[in-house]
Amino acid sequence: MEFFTPYYFKNNQKMKRIVFIITALFLFSVVSDSNAQEKNLEKAALVLEQLKKPQKNHVLVVSHRGDWRYAPENSLMAVQRCIDLGVDIVEIDVRLTKDGHLVAIHDTTVDRTTNGKGKVSDMTLEEIKKLRLKNACGVRHSRQQIPTLKEIMLLAKGKIMINLDKVEGNTVREAYEVLKETGTVNQAIFKGRETVDFMLKKYGDLMKEIIYMPILIDNTDNPEEFVKDYNKKLSPIAYEVTFSSTNTKNFKEIKRLNKKGITVLNIPLWDALVAGRTDEMALLEGPEVSWGWLIKNGANAIMTDRPEELLSYLKKEGLRREK
Amino acid sequence: MMKFKSLILSILLVSAVSCKKITESKNEEEPNKKLSKLESLLANLHDSTNKEVIVVAHRGDWRNAPENSLQAIQSCIDMGVDMVEIDVRETKDGHLVLMHDKTIDRTTKGKGAVNEWTLDSLKTLQLLDGLGVATSNKIPTLEEALNLCKGKILVNLDKSYDIFDKCYEVAKKTQTLDQIIIKGAKSKKQVENEFGEYLDKVNFMPIVRLANPNAKQTIDEYLEGDIPLAFEFTVPQDTISLIKKFKTIRNKGASVWVNSLWAKHNGGHDDEKAYLDVNVYDWFITNNIDIIQTDRPKLLLDYLRSKGLHN
Repeated sequence: MEFFTPYYFKNNQKMKRIVFIITALFLFSVVSDSNAQEKNLEKAALVLEQLKKPQKNHVLVVSHRGDWRYAPENSLMAVQRCIDLGVDIVEIDVRLTKDGHLVAIHDTTVDRTTNGKGKVSDMTLEEIKKLRLKNACGVRHSRQQIPTLKEIMLLAKGKIMINLDKVEGNTVREAYEVLKETGTVNQAIFKGRETVDFMLKKYGDLMKEIIYMPILIDNTDNPEEFVKDYNKKLSPIAYEVTFSSTNTKNFKEIKRLNKKGITVLNIPLWDALVAGRTDEMALLEGPEVSWGWLIKNGANAIMTDRPEELLSYLKKEGLRREK
Repeated sequence: MMKFKSLILSILLVSAVSCKKITESKNEEEPNKKLSKLESLLANLHDSTNKEVIVVAHRGDWRNAPENSLQAIQSCIDMGVDMVEIDVRETKDGHLVLMHDKTIDRTTKGKGAVNEWTLDSLKTLQLLDGLGVATSNKIPTLEEALNLCKGKILVNLDKSYDIFDKCYEVAKKTQTLDQIIIKGAKSKKQVENEFGEYLDKVNFMPIVRLANPNAKQTIDEYLEGDIPLAFEFTVPQDTISLIKKFKTIRNKGASVWVNSLWAKHNGGHDDEKAYLDVNVYDWFITNNIDIIQTDRPKLLLDYLRSKGLHN
């Protein structure tokens, strides 16, 4: 303590005590600050753990394109909203600009979601940044711009995992560079429909550096073989599985993945992806007949257009382990 | 210790007294509870000086259902929204349906102008959600929409001015005339000429753009004689001096309607800003605005309820 005490306070017990308290408070605030940071870091790391070891009493929530009902799809505001809601993973689409930057946008053109026109691949980042995103209603412009993947990852860092769509077999390397630069390699889940051999041939050892989630879509030739091959060569921690009906091979594959303790992500965005057990059904007929049904049939994670409602349903059902 | 105990005691006392006050005022309100939902909506609409703010949902609750769909209207009713704004257009075979754009391209998978489609063929289409994914919703007719709104929510019919004779028939048929609000950005003389026969049968509200050089004159004309239920003002900058007249206008019997939709409606105090900081809505309250059309009905309702400005 002597060290912190200015000479004119010496021999003054009262002042000494005050200085001690102030110093203690200061030290405490520094410590609790770093605690808060750790807590944030924990969220993304925790989600990764939960992906690796799916539990019956905890279902992960993935928000499709960010919470686009409240902010433009694929915008920083839509990601921030997911962080605020307590969503685990936000799905974002990324595409390459003419000058090689990865930006978050779903369509190949900017026509639907911005006040501009043209292909993303024909525009420079500077041109892209001049545009303003539209709200879901289509007409009105938001103040939000198209974000770069870098901006998304910096916002998400520690707070939420990101699922990268449209990267597939195209821009894995470019996206990986951004993750390395922002220190978020462990926070991004790549995904794609290609076979494991295709991906390994194209990207080699890079496939072992990233978190990769194969997508099992309905017209996959031999789902059983597709999964076996991936499990043998890359042991993925999760699969995205769609099934147009419960008679499909894909639907049977869900049980096998469950037995192996590999996370199954279902995406109830529209009928053909989940044999009709959609988000809309949850809203109109009740969550137990859609989300509840999916969970009963093996979903460990659900990608939704209604993250707020899904979270509150899961909490009500005791399917969210809170820290 | 004694001090602490007496502090607790006085807190308890104060809260007991205020609880009593709440129950008393609840009892006083009892007779009001006998008003039907529609009666209280109308009473509020016709009272320009009470502090209750009317919430208008633009195109229905389009965040949670396709815009201008029955589900979007139902969602507003469930939330406690006071008025829903919907857009009316005429089909090729003379039916009235809800549709914002001239064409059906943006909100359905079909293509072309509404007036090139018959009602039957429009009814085969599904309305799209905010991402462009088909939903189970169909394009509603005005009649279906008004039957849903009947007794539950006020209705602002947009794009209806030129086809109002047809809208009027549907309103009469569904007995929803007293619930319907029509607006127009025209001078009093113009409205009397074009709209004359309906003026005393429906709720008409003039729209005045405060940036117009003759805004003050338009307001004054409307304030002579029959005072309108409300004025809608567009306020491109929050420094416009006519804003200071809002209180006087309300005291004269007309409510003041300002949209929170886009920045140019409200001098930059818009819904997107309010989403990031809800206190942005304070501007409406301090400037004596008592009808707000919003794209974020839930956010606005939560805000108003927290301030005791909405039931």
